[in-house]
Amino acid sequence: MSTNRKFIISISALFILWLIVALIALFTGTYSIGLLEALSNTDDLTNTIFFQIRIPRVLMATIAGGTLAIAGAALQALFRNPLASPFTLGISGGASLGALLAIRSGLAVGILGFSLVSISAFVFSILTMLFVYSVSKVGGVVATGRLLLAGVVANFLYSAVVMFIQFFSNFTESLHTLRWIMGSLDVVGFDTVWKTLIFVIPGCAILLSLTKEMNLFGLGDDVATSLGVNVRRMEKKIYFATSLAAGAVISVTGPIGFVGLIIPHILRMILGVDNRIILPCSFLLGAAFLTAADTVSRTIISPVEIPVGIITASIGGVFFLWLLIRTKKEIIV
Amino acid sequence: MATIINCTNLGFSYNETRVLNGIDLSISPGKMLGILGANGAGKSTLLKILCGVLKPKTGKALFKDKELSSMDRRDIAKCIAYIPQDPMFAFPFTVKEVVLMGRAPYIGRFEFEREKDRDIAENALQAVGILHLKDRLINEISSGERQLASIARGLVQEPEIMILDEPATYLDVKHRTKIINILNELKEERGISIIAATHDIFTSLFYFDEIVILKEGKVLAQGTTEMVINSELLSSAYEIPVTVKKENGRVFVFPK
Repeated sequence: MSTNRKFIISISALFILWLIVALIALFTGTYSIGLLEALSNTDDLTNTIFFQIRIPRVLMATIAGGTLAIAGAALQALFRNPLASPFTLGISGGASLGALLAIRSGLAVGILGFSLVSISAFVFSILTMLFVYSVSKVGGVVATGRLLLAGVVANFLYSAVVMFIQFFSNFTESLHTLRWIMGSLDVVGFDTVWKTLIFVIPGCAILLSLTKEMNLFGLGDDVATSLGVNVRRMEKKIYFATSLAAGAVISVTGPIGFVGLIIPHILRMILGVDNRIILPCSFLLGAAFLTAADTVSRTIISPVEIPVGIITASIGGVFFLWLLIRTKKEIIV
Repeated sequence: MATIINCTNLGFSYNETRVLNGIDLSISPGKMLGILGANGAGKSTLLKILCGVLKPKTGKALFKDKELSSMDRRDIAKCIAYIPQDPMFAFPFTVKEVVLMGRAPYIGRFEFEREKDRDIAENALQAVGILHLKDRLINEISSGERQLASIARGLVQEPEIMILDEPATYLDVKHRTKIINILNELKEERGISIIAATHDIFTSLFYFDEIVILKEGKVLAQGTTEMVINSELLSSAYEIPVTVKKENGRVFVFPK
């Protein structure tokens, strides 16, 4: 099959999958709502729940899942390593700390529609990425062991600071932070959704424009350069775009783990490794996956909503372990 | 005769270490040029400058009177193909996908390959004799086959020059001969100039039309194989005594 047809078929199939999941999510929950009820506008409570809670939440799950997955796919291309993801590299941890610091220092205000919390998350994630990249790259090649260790180190340092902040917090603040760190899609109204999109749209657009270069980059710096890629500029664009998009999402949702790792992997097993297909498909499958996981987290022990991060981390942890065992011969250095 | 590549006073250094120094070199089109020299003589660095991957620190490298370092990278890619010594494949692309990547300079940012590009890729795979491997994964074929896939990838760039860094170093004698024969065919049938660094002085020197010998970042000698390959120059380049024998118009080199 030509790449072109494969692209169209897989994009359409995943879009339909997302649509089905999103529709199920909209009408599932502690408070059950029928389609006609939602649209017929009879009852104030139904109306509010549907338009101010359910729709924004499904949109947020879509944006967050899609962004984390596409960021994971892009990082895997950049590090030339299938174990890279915002979570394993400590970028999620960095973004969380950045967001937490901004919230605690009372900077949770917007300037011209840009949330300072998102900007702080972006700064911390890009710094983390630069740290991990410079530590793990030895002689022009990223060593897997160093890469994962650098991520672990970053995560430890950030959690030390987070615990320090927690220690000096009162009970309410502390509980609030804790729930946020577990990763949750608890948003109310469309405001947060728009503010996230301001960062996510340009970030994802930049990543999608680089997919051909990412493929060539997989043949090594020199070959990529000889085929017309400006390698250093491409690397900088990926740093910038992933930090921008993932930072904005994480500043709202907290560090929802492993979506960025699992989704591109599953897709590569089915569709091959062409980034022109993997990146856009990662967005759609990530969106569908997180929307589904969130629906489970809202309903599994209803009326209690457990943070979606617990669901993704438990699926992701097992998956990661399986990957490590399966691939240990090839990629663990 | 017109030259396709012309270097004057080329110099390069990695940080403080000087690798190339005052290289003057002119290369005629449609020839097979071999670059010899001991490890660390600067062969790989010179090749990377000739294909525009590295920019020289001093001097100029001209491709048909245009300075390489001021040319657009994609334009260079349409004229010069580079095949590294040990190609990296970070992800398990199929052989055909790898070869199609050579079409990248001809394809726009949001475009996929067209029918024509796929035909060109299949022809290239046919030319190097691995069309039957097109759907295999690049990391699951032998290193000789991988090298052939890299050559096919270079071929679909439709280059005027193909630059190869020790294309046969890790290969057995069968694949070594196959590769050198393919390169010879590309030269004869398509008029592609071949520039290859090689350590393989004992078996395949007679294929080359011209030889450049590098020593410690400088050109020790340049000329036809007949002129340059003699025991004095080679012994000096590799710092071991060698014997050169000529038989039926072919040169053979032996360690003494």
